Amino acid sequence: MTRVQRTISLLCASCGFAAIAPILPAPRVEAAQTIYNTSPPSVIRVAIRENNASGEPDPRGRIIYVEAVPFATYCEDVLPNEWFPSWHPEALKAGAMAVKMFAWYHHLHPVTIDGFTFDVDNTTNFQHFQEMSSQPTTNAAFQAIQKLAYTKPNGEIVELNYSAGYENDPNWQYRNAQKMAQWGSEYWARKGQSYLQILQFYYQNRALMRLQ
Amino acid sequence: MKRHPSKRSVIIASLLASAIVVAIPTQPQIGALRHAHARTLHGAIAAMAPAGIDPVEQRTEAAPQAKPPVSEAPAPQPRARDAGNGKPGPGKVPVQPNPSGSKPKASNPSSGSSAGQAKPNASSGASPATPKPVPPPSPAAQGNDQPAGPESWGYTRKTAKLRIRVIDGRTKEPIDGAEVVLIETEQRFKTDAQGFTPWFDAPVIRNPKYRPMVAELHGQLGAIAYKDGYRDSIHLGIRVHEGIRQQTTIWMYKIGPADRRIEPVLYQEPYHHLWLIQLADKFRSHTQPGEGPERP
Repeated sequence: MTRVQRTISLLCASCGFAAIAPILPAPRVEAAQTIYNTSPPSVIRVAIRENNASGEPDPRGRIIYVEAVPFATYCEDVLPNEWFPSWHPEALKAGAMAVKMFAWYHHLHPVTIDGFTFDVDNTTNFQHFQEMSSQPTTNAAFQAIQKLAYTKPNGEIVELNYSAGYENDPNWQYRNAQKMAQWGSEYWARKGQSYLQILQFYYQNRALMRLQ
Repeated sequence: MKRHPSKRSVIIASLLASAIVVAIPTQPQIGALRHAHARTLHGAIAAMAPAGIDPVEQRTEAAPQAKPPVSEAPAPQPRARDAGNGKPGPGKVPVQPNPSGSKPKASNPSSGSSAGQAKPNASSGASPATPKPVPPPSPAAQGNDQPAGPESWGYTRKTAKLRIRVIDGRTKEPIDGAEVVLIETEQRFKTDAQGFTPWFDAPVIRNPKYRPMVAELHGQLGAIAYKDGYRDSIHLGIRVHEGIRQQTTIWMYKIGPADRRIEPVLYQEPYHHLWLIQLADKFRSHTQPGEGPERP
């Protein structure tokens, strides 16, 4: 192939790409959502899913309606259903932080399913929310971390994931997956670790921030 | 060839069988007087769990009240998981179901003493399934050293501070003056203007049928709320953890003119999902792993 032919073929290819460019989706440009450019949510939209036959919310059930719940109330009504209220206060504080940051992240990333736009649902698809189920011990843990956030060092809000884990075990494999093990939080708290040390163990490259 | 046994062999076999039957003790206390372990296990439900799950604190609590008989066998060590949950073992003699509502007479259920030992279904004549409606004294009145009921039914000596809030299910406003009955202890409470009952000592009762499988991580209670003009609300499965303050909410629904068939409303609180994960993992097989073991 001569140089002229190569140039012509390149020109044709460029024109072709230019012609289909409007059809192709544009790359998404997202600014990082940080604690500096977003405010803590005051309300969160919770999709209430249909109950199963035994009366419990079904993670695959139909969405019945979307309820706007005050953010603090939401966190307080999630924590006793995700962590045991009888656990060590430091484990509950670590759990409260994870519950709060998970909800905050999803508040910034709402989804639309079956025509409903919401931030989270009331099942273990997101976090197990049960209205008016707050407990004194878990409320105290949430109050203790209410003015704090656990984010990337630049303040970017990230989802703090967590999962059950194994009882009486440090659950190292969850640290590798950058998830907190709920049983692991209790294990470390009983070993004398503070909630910050527990968070630092499971989530790396994160920082504790004070909210203005 | 003889196809039937002779008369003599039939008679000998019958005599042997009779001798074996006679040799079986019908009064275990008599035969077990010399065997401490037999006395300890008498009356226990064998299917509950091995005798070694007695929590340490209960053994130490029981020690000053009565000395357990000296036994040659070494004391069984409590398992870590069960000790943390404070469950009684079946090595304890179950306390009388106590239909009269008075405090159980067994002074030390874990001592294994045969003197004053209450046998299940004995002497009182009343069935444990049909107790008299007389409310028993509250666990607070009994003192926290005694369970509110027979330990074989899952009662423990541990209590939690509980209060119950009663609200209108539609308006979510608190209901003043509703009567709340705790089913297990038959205690009655009235709600205040905020819909709360006073704090009270609630027994921590774990379902004994689950103890051999996986230690239940919280106890469960039931309550019924009554209020004029409202449907009765039955709230079952209230989660109770020993040693902390807890609260729960009962939702009541007003009886309207369109309500023709008026029946109680049931709300069953589910088990905590952390317990359900453990339960499912406990019996998972390699051939049918389902969703697989818990993993990150």
